[in-house]
Amino acid sequence: MKWALLFIVAGLALVASVLVGPAGLQSDIVWNLRAPRAVLAFLVGGSLGAAGASLQALVRNPLADPFLLGLSGGAGLGAVLAIALHLPGPWALPIAAFIGALAALVLVYRLGRIGGDVLDPRILLLGGVAVGAFAAAITTAIVSLADAAELRNAFLWLWGGLSSASWDAVVLISVYIPIPLLVLLGASRPLDLLALGEEPARYLGADVEVVKRRVYIAASLLTAAAVAVSGVIGFVGLIVPHLARSTWGHRHRALIPAAFIGGGALLAIADTLARTVVAPRELPVGVVTALIGVPVFALLLRRWTVA
Amino acid sequence: MLRRLLFAVILIVGCRPSDRPTVRQSDRIVSLLPSFTEILFAIGAGDRVVGRTTWCDYPPAALDVPSVGDGMPPSIEAVAARKPDLVVLYNSGPNVTAAQQLERIGIRTVLLDMNRLEDLGPATRTLGRLTGHEQQGESLATAMDSLLHHPPPTSTALHTLAFIVWDNPPIIIGAGSYLSQLATLAGARNLFDDIAAPSAQVSLETIAARNPRWIAVLSDSATPPAFARRREWRAVPAVRDGRFLLLQGSLFGRPGPRSAEAVRQLKALLAR
Amino acid sequence: MTDGRGASCVVRSLRYRYAGAHRDALADVSFAVEPGEFHAVLGPNGSGKTTLVRLVLGALRPQAGSATIGDRPAHAWSRQELARIVAVVPQREDNLFPQRVRETVLLGRYPHLSMWGRERPEDHAAVQRALAACDIEQLADRGVWTLSGGEYQRVRIARALAQDPTLLVLDEPGISLDLRHEMGLFELVRSLVDTRGLGVLMITHDLNLAARFADSLLLLNEGRAIAAGTPTDVLTREVVESVFAWPVSMQTVDGRPQMVPLRQSKESV
Repeated sequence: MKWALLFIVAGLALVASVLVGPAGLQSDIVWNLRAPRAVLAFLVGGSLGAAGASLQALVRNPLADPFLLGLSGGAGLGAVLAIALHLPGPWALPIAAFIGALAALVLVYRLGRIGGDVLDPRILLLGGVAVGAFAAAITTAIVSLADAAELRNAFLWLWGGLSSASWDAVVLISVYIPIPLLVLLGASRPLDLLALGEEPARYLGADVEVVKRRVYIAASLLTAAAVAVSGVIGFVGLIVPHLARSTWGHRHRALIPAAFIGGGALLAIADTLARTVVAPRELPVGVVTALIGVPVFALLLRRWTVA
Repeated sequence: MLRRLLFAVILIVGCRPSDRPTVRQSDRIVSLLPSFTEILFAIGAGDRVVGRTTWCDYPPAALDVPSVGDGMPPSIEAVAARKPDLVVLYNSGPNVTAAQQLERIGIRTVLLDMNRLEDLGPATRTLGRLTGHEQQGESLATAMDSLLHHPPPTSTALHTLAFIVWDNPPIIIGAGSYLSQLATLAGARNLFDDIAAPSAQVSLETIAARNPRWIAVLSDSATPPAFARRREWRAVPAVRDGRFLLLQGSLFGRPGPRSAEAVRQLKALLAR
Repeated sequence: MTDGRGASCVVRSLRYRYAGAHRDALADVSFAVEPGEFHAVLGPNGSGKTTLVRLVLGALRPQAGSATIGDRPAHAWSRQELARIVAVVPQREDNLFPQRVRETVLLGRYPHLSMWGRERPEDHAAVQRALAACDIEQLADRGVWTLSGGEYQRVRIARALAQDPTLLVLDEPGISLDLRHEMGLFELVRSLVDTRGLGVLMITHDLNLAARFADSLLLLNEGRAIAAGTPTDVLTREVVESVFAWPVSMQTVDGRPQMVPLRQSKESV
């Protein structure tokens, strides 16, 4: 049965992520560094998968990725400001990134609202791209004007990495993500209906405006947390929903949990590879997900066009 | 400071053979690397330096020289405004382009390598020739070469270290950097000298597993760096126990005439 | 509060103007649709047909008059409650993610499902009944992307039937269907009215088919009700010519009026 298989794969990915690494099996390292990192990778990957699945239904675009909504631009700007202004404290960077992502969320949301309370998904997408590009431009301007060298490392952070994982971070994320996830799950049926279009969905009983608002905010909150903790890890939110859909179909009741588990497994595997492939050096995780994601995406595209 | 080290380190990529400069004395020199500025002043040619980068802070007399920006990349206009007859650049990709642009407007340029300590000698001799201070250049070069020829003290297992230039993601210094050489000369071993590059991103668990006795950071403050308080970094015993080598940015952030002094300071810090 | 069984749709003196428009989209329109009745709304483009449907379904609130469904104003129904008694087949549907026929018909059961509850046997039974009523049981496992336009339209009607409604609203269902499928569609709708006692409100531009199959007609022009009643009462030559601004000849088939547009002679251009 497909769920059993998925759980097995996820379990194996997690176990491998905990046991495999350049430092071998020293118990300190496994417990203090690798285990929290594996769990965090799973939670972040799962959040991105679930957010991606819901967003693709919300904006009615199978190419939607959680980072299309401008959140990564906002987070990058926040991170760069934190570094440029030398904000104190070990949590300065993730907090600033999170606030930056939230600011982008609010901005894109306001752009997406046309005439009263109606959220237009196409404008959400366009607004997201615009806000993201704007934030990226400001970020680049800051980098070129300020302490260039240090800020270039901020770009490395942006490429994604789980090196800051600790049990503290795991606890924080574990406490934070259940509510947005539950909101997304609760919106499963309306999301199924939204696939037919807003008008048919309304006539089939969906409260479309409420659903759009909730799904957008919940998915963005999940993405903002992921970015704050681990930078921009692309392709997970884009590919995993499609992979899940090929097995579980379009019923979001099954699709969202499957995308969560699948995304978690994928990121755990990608992170393990990032750690081991060029050991003792490490690749940014975003690079690994892109290297895996692009061929997979090409395969998916071929299947669609051939079918 | 951290950024000074990064300024030097991150530019250490893809060496190209440096040009053989013609023998002609220059009176107005713009120096676009702190190492070159220090060398020029050390060989007595400081009075000819009419432009420097913002990072060039030694010797104190250099601060009186107008700055032409941070040099990353060099501002052609700011450099040209100083009306130099020679511009000395660090040999890197972006600087090659800048040199071509300067040559196009009739300003002579020379690109010099400055990645490892063995680059100090040739650079010093070249600058000596270009400024007519061959003798001073030769003697300084000889002194700097001798630094390399001293047999390094046998490092005991006690003196292992890792240079951390960035924490998230973790970036360390590898064998390709002069910093690694300074460590060896001071009787310490850079645990990441198996990496040929000047700097590289590594997993935190690798740092923890290799367990350096010391964590070296470029810092002008007396307090440990901010990442020392992060929970995941405390898996590295040296971070947990506060065994930091806080290296002054100006002295350690660049190879130069004071590198011998840097080695001495490092030795002293290790001896504590 | 009744559950809406046997609910009728009643519209009285309805008036609506869109924001910024220079004239009313609908003015003083009244009609009623009872269960077991097939009611068609006709009129040229811009006559207010779609606005009428939106008002009937509570998507818009009238500036004057009332639109009630069952015992309540249309806009007083919650979306989900309304979907349990009124099923709508809108003009456009853009199915984003390709599904199988059975899955897409099952979406019609959603108004009856709670947020977290699973589909029950009665839901699957309702889907099967809907497929049977629309004569598409054999298509149940096909992907919707493999269907012809006519077949897909039946699937959408089956989905609407799966809602177990008492009132079925169709907005231009025959557009882009060929003759065979359009006839089949009207026959299907008629049989649903006759055998299941559904009330049907259909917007259509096809005068002749409406006249053949519907029990009563409402003819709109520029937001006003020009005529209402049986097809024979409504579709007279004078009325049709004045509303559609074209000369016609009226004939009778199966006791129903049928319109034949006349060609313009060259002299009268």
